[in-house]
Amino acid sequence: MALVVEELGRVAYEEALQLQERALEARLRGEMSDRLFLLEHPPVVTLGRSAHVENLKLAPQELARRGIEVHDVRRGGDVTWHGPGQLVGYLVIDLAERGAPDVGAHLRGIETALCDALRELGVRSRTLPGWTGVFADAPLPAQRGVSRPEDPPRKLASIGVGVRRWVSWHGFALNVDPDLAGFDVIVPCGLHGVEMSSLARELGETAPFDLAERARKAVRIAFEARFGG
Amino acid sequence: MASIQVELPALGESVVEGTVSKWLVQEGDRVERDQALVEITTDKVDAEIPSPEAGVVEKLLVAEGDTVAVGAVLVTLSAGSGAEVAAPAATAAEPQTVRDTAPAAAVSAQPAPKAEARPVAQSAATPLARRVAEQGGVELRAVEPTGAAGKITQADVLRHAAGAAPAQAPPAAAQTAPARGSAPRARPGFLDYTLQPGDEVIPMSPLRKLVAEHMVLSKRVSPHVGTVAEIDLGGVIGVRDAHKKDFRATHGFALTFLPFIVHAAVRALREFPALNASVLEDAIVYKKDIHVGIAVETEKGLVVPVVRHADRLSLTGLAEAVEDLASRARSKRLSPDELKGGTFTVSNPGRHGNLYGFAIINQPQVGILRMGEIVKRPVVRELDGQDAIVIRPLMHLALSYDHRAVDGAPANGFLFRVRELLEVAEFDL
Repeated sequence: MALVVEELGRVAYEEALQLQERALEARLRGEMSDRLFLLEHPPVVTLGRSAHVENLKLAPQELARRGIEVHDVRRGGDVTWHGPGQLVGYLVIDLAERGAPDVGAHLRGIETALCDALRELGVRSRTLPGWTGVFADAPLPAQRGVSRPEDPPRKLASIGVGVRRWVSWHGFALNVDPDLAGFDVIVPCGLHGVEMSSLARELGETAPFDLAERARKAVRIAFEARFGG
Repeated sequence: MASIQVELPALGESVVEGTVSKWLVQEGDRVERDQALVEITTDKVDAEIPSPEAGVVEKLLVAEGDTVAVGAVLVTLSAGSGAEVAAPAATAAEPQTVRDTAPAAAVSAQPAPKAEARPVAQSAATPLARRVAEQGGVELRAVEPTGAAGKITQADVLRHAAGAAPAQAPPAAAQTAPARGSAPRARPGFLDYTLQPGDEVIPMSPLRKLVAEHMVLSKRVSPHVGTVAEIDLGGVIGVRDAHKKDFRATHGFALTFLPFIVHAAVRALREFPALNASVLEDAIVYKKDIHVGIAVETEKGLVVPVVRHADRLSLTGLAEAVEDLASRARSKRLSPDELKGGTFTVSNPGRHGNLYGFAIINQPQVGILRMGEIVKRPVVRELDGQDAIVIRPLMHLALSYDHRAVDGAPANGFLFRVRELLEVAEFDL
């Protein structure tokens, strides 16, 4: 069960959605192997099936005026923002070919692969029971090794997945070095009390100049290792 | 025309329910086989539930926004195109059969004795039965239940698997595999093992799972180094023998060796603070207070209650605290706070078959001391300037320490100090 990773650069949301649909159907027909698409989107807000419209802090017209598209998406999860500097991964794999299909295990697998990739990049991360996603596991550089109980969890990657006849699609969004202000137009994932963060912010001065490229490579290797046959 | 019930299928081992997020069809719609009927959301997953047959949608039984259990019926269809449904087995509950190109073959090949298989709701089989059925490739809906309240038990599944005649078609899961070109693969992390008759599969209790995860984590996080000291317990035994009768009379329980070891360990910790620390990202925190965890085996598993400010307690105080915590641990009357905040741990796994051993560090601590059994041995001692062989009671104390924060010198220094304190045997009772 090979996993083929394709890097697509910047792709508009609608176009990526159609690409995913084609890939999903091809996978169902057995014409394609398991695939991970790595790409970036122009600024866009997407609403998953658990989305509450109150989590949009601006009216759709205002978002449109600012050039931010809004899409309803057939994935789990609430509302999220995608934009330049964020590495988006769409994972189209056949869950039934990997033993008894288990969507919970699929989510955990994505979390683990992302944590593996982040470890390679020198970022300590963790998952939080009950909250799908990947969070920072170390204090920010300015805090010098000490975290306080009142610090809010900082989210580094959001996950939202769709399943059609046991083939998965959609996947994750990893904040490498986006303009975090992009998230201000929403309550990300409907979670008050969680702060959005990025690899660049977590690494501070130690961030390499080619962080984006290293992140793509680390994610590619981690997913090939975990999801490849 | 037969009415087909479409259930919420099992989406994963830990998934017990789902929320209807969007109906994709209306009552009266004609649908094709495999056409998506409804979207179900669970956690961060949105799964489309396909139609098992071509037909007409009869009744939507659940509203958008409602949450239902796995196995609940979502919608009924009246089967069209003359598809003969011998058993409701051909429902969405077995997604692999839905994608098979020959579903009729799967249906007719069901084991003969069950002319009419029942849909198997979540509560109709014990968790153990489900696990064993999955591992053995046995179709639950074909198993005759004999358990209480009509549940399918593990024994029922094993009996069914043993009784199935070789000529019968294998269960649907295995049958669809060849059609799809590849056999199901064992999940990563699971051993490739097929159940044999007589094997007993016991699901891990939540405590067992926690302990297992912690052990793996601890070994991964801390580079463990072990060091052993041989302690002459003659002095301690002398003190204990002198006081044990009175102690038992006054306190109602026996004075064991554990309080003596802890008494020495906490005083040594004051002199070697490196062993009373935790590792932060790029710093080490040396803790002011000394709180000692005592590892206790209960019937449910390993529990480590904490004696707070153990260095402020006398030998008697330690004995009382240890006895109180251990007995409440066994009767499950510990509060969560009593299991937290330890800065060092002492473990006493038992007297027999235990010369010495290196325990696994209790995160986020950096050291753990493990007691061994007491054995009388001939040793060499200097008496009146001459070497002589004497017989002494010896115990090996083994220290495991985290080499990120503790180097050999302080570790050995600590252990040697513990030995000194025990051999001098001056305890404030």
